[in-house]
Amino acid sequence: MPETQHAYVLDVMAEDHPGIVASVSQAVESLGGNIDSCSQTVLGGYFTLIMIVSLPDRIAPDELAERVRTAEGASRPYQVLVYPWQPRLPAAVAEPSERFVITAFGADQPGIVRRFSQYLAGKDINIVDLYGHREGEEFVLIGQVEVPKRWDVGMMQADLEQLGQELGFAVKLQHENVFVATNQLRFTRTP
Amino acid sequence: MLRTEEILSTIDMLHAEHLDVRSVTLALNLDDCAAPDIGHVCRKVRQKILGRASRLVETCDRVGAKYGIPVINKRLAISPAATLLAGHGCGAAVRLAQTLDAAAGECGVDFVGGFTALVQKGVGAGDDVVIRALPDVLAQTARVCASVNVASRKAGINMDAVHQMGHTLLDIAAATADRQGFGCAKLCIFANIPEDNPFMAGAYMGPGEPDATVNIGVSGPGVVGSSLRRRLATDVKLTLGDLAEEIKITSFRVTRVGELIGREVAAELGLAFGIVDLSLAPTPTVGDSVGEILKLLGIAQVGAPGSTAAVAMLNDAVKKGGLFASSSVGGLSGAFIPVSEDATLAEAVEHGHLVLEKLEAMTSVCSVGLDMIAVPGDTPPETLAALIADEMAIGVINDKTMAVRLIPVPGAKAGDVVDFGGLFGKTPVMAIRNAGASEAFVHFGGRIPAPLQSLGN
Repeated sequence: MPETQHAYVLDVMAEDHPGIVASVSQAVESLGGNIDSCSQTVLGGYFTLIMIVSLPDRIAPDELAERVRTAEGASRPYQVLVYPWQPRLPAAVAEPSERFVITAFGADQPGIVRRFSQYLAGKDINIVDLYGHREGEEFVLIGQVEVPKRWDVGMMQADLEQLGQELGFAVKLQHENVFVATNQLRFTRTP
Repeated sequence: MLRTEEILSTIDMLHAEHLDVRSVTLALNLDDCAAPDIGHVCRKVRQKILGRASRLVETCDRVGAKYGIPVINKRLAISPAATLLAGHGCGAAVRLAQTLDAAAGECGVDFVGGFTALVQKGVGAGDDVVIRALPDVLAQTARVCASVNVASRKAGINMDAVHQMGHTLLDIAAATADRQGFGCAKLCIFANIPEDNPFMAGAYMGPGEPDATVNIGVSGPGVVGSSLRRRLATDVKLTLGDLAEEIKITSFRVTRVGELIGREVAAELGLAFGIVDLSLAPTPTVGDSVGEILKLLGIAQVGAPGSTAAVAMLNDAVKKGGLFASSSVGGLSGAFIPVSEDATLAEAVEHGHLVLEKLEAMTSVCSVGLDMIAVPGDTPPETLAALIADEMAIGVINDKTMAVRLIPVPGAKAGDVVDFGGLFGKTPVMAIRNAGASEAFVHFGGRIPAPLQSLGN
């Protein structure tokens, strides 16, 4: 995490092409800054990057955004948003929780993501990672979620299966440990 | 964070390829239930089983649901009944078995193993009671499973006990003649019996184990078959080494799942976690078959030359994957080839592709032995004993577990088809060549000495 108090959250979106990270990091470096953490994803040919950077001197967020947009090597326009980084944001889920994975497979239709996410929001369940993909008529939705321990998993599974039936989707809610156990060499976290 | 491909590949294993946990077996030491009065013994046995195991089924179902992995069988295994029965008679043995049967029923489990005698070097008082009571016990109870260890690497083969088991099998078959000799399907005759095997009919709790422990049997051969099928459909120019690698990876994954579930079930029950048994245990369900894996490995007719090598490769790859996945591997841990319980093997027998001698060769490189083999009801006891002796010899010489389940079907001839129902499946009765020609050998009796431990060629 940032070493100085002049830290910013940078959000960059662009058509995907080689050199975006290079030019953004060049802009940060030209200000004497450091990249503290970053994550990027590409979806449907569009690139998006979120970064936390710390700089030696205070700078107006708009100015930093402009420096990134006009960075050396930026061959195409970027959308850039900058916020001052707040070091003490409250945790998204404050209560004890366990991580589960929701998977849903079925015929695509409008409203799938809304129905599932509304159900989760209504139970204070935070989505930490979301993947959705349509292939032909089929839609697959995968959410990694933090489920507060106060909920009965069996009841939630029943709710989600019912919701799935209404939408014609096969839905499963499973503890993440089964995915860790079958794919990764690390130990599963003891619940 | 998990990657999407990881999640999708696990979902495939769970839902398309039917990954499950085959068995959660709660093993209990009942030695502290010993008493001079059998009524008192039975009350203590019931109390201990209900006290420890009444939440087993519910816990397995809840933990399984949390991970989306069904636990197919929940079972009990006990310390050898022979210990409790020393100083008692056959009537007491039947009462104890009925108590076990009822207690297992109250807990909602389908089998309780451990009606066991360990006689590799000689028959103790309790062992004698167990063996003599087997026909009544297996005829009068539904859930009780028995095992008799007649040989070991260190003791050699107790041929007197082997001979006695030849007669006992016929007695059990006669006592359950109305069920085609089904009682014999609940009896395993062992060499080198493992102390921590979770699979029936040979599960029991051996010496050196804690008071109560949870042992796990991993998923069946269906998952391995599906992964091979997928690999064969997508890749060309695969070698047997590539296929062994695929089996190894699948075994790793199913073992990790088994241990995950087992540890959590044990923790919830407040018991020690024991072992994961890597065995691929087939069921009569189409697709859940070791025979089908052999076909995928290129053996068009199971029993053809190459079958032994293919089983050996499968068995070894399963062990390698499983051993990397868990430091708590135990039990039998190999591929089972129980004929009636494996639809493809039963079909190979029916078509004459798979004969007893080839099966015997295959059992020398896999777990566990001539398993769920129906033979003619008029097979002489000495021939049954000699069949057992051959398998025991393979176990003793190769330092591996062997378990024999032979069912001499009353009134049946070679080629007749018998259906034991459910998980026990159906099979043709297998022909035994040269039946009756081993009599003098068996009648010598005594003990075949323990084998050499060096110069292993």
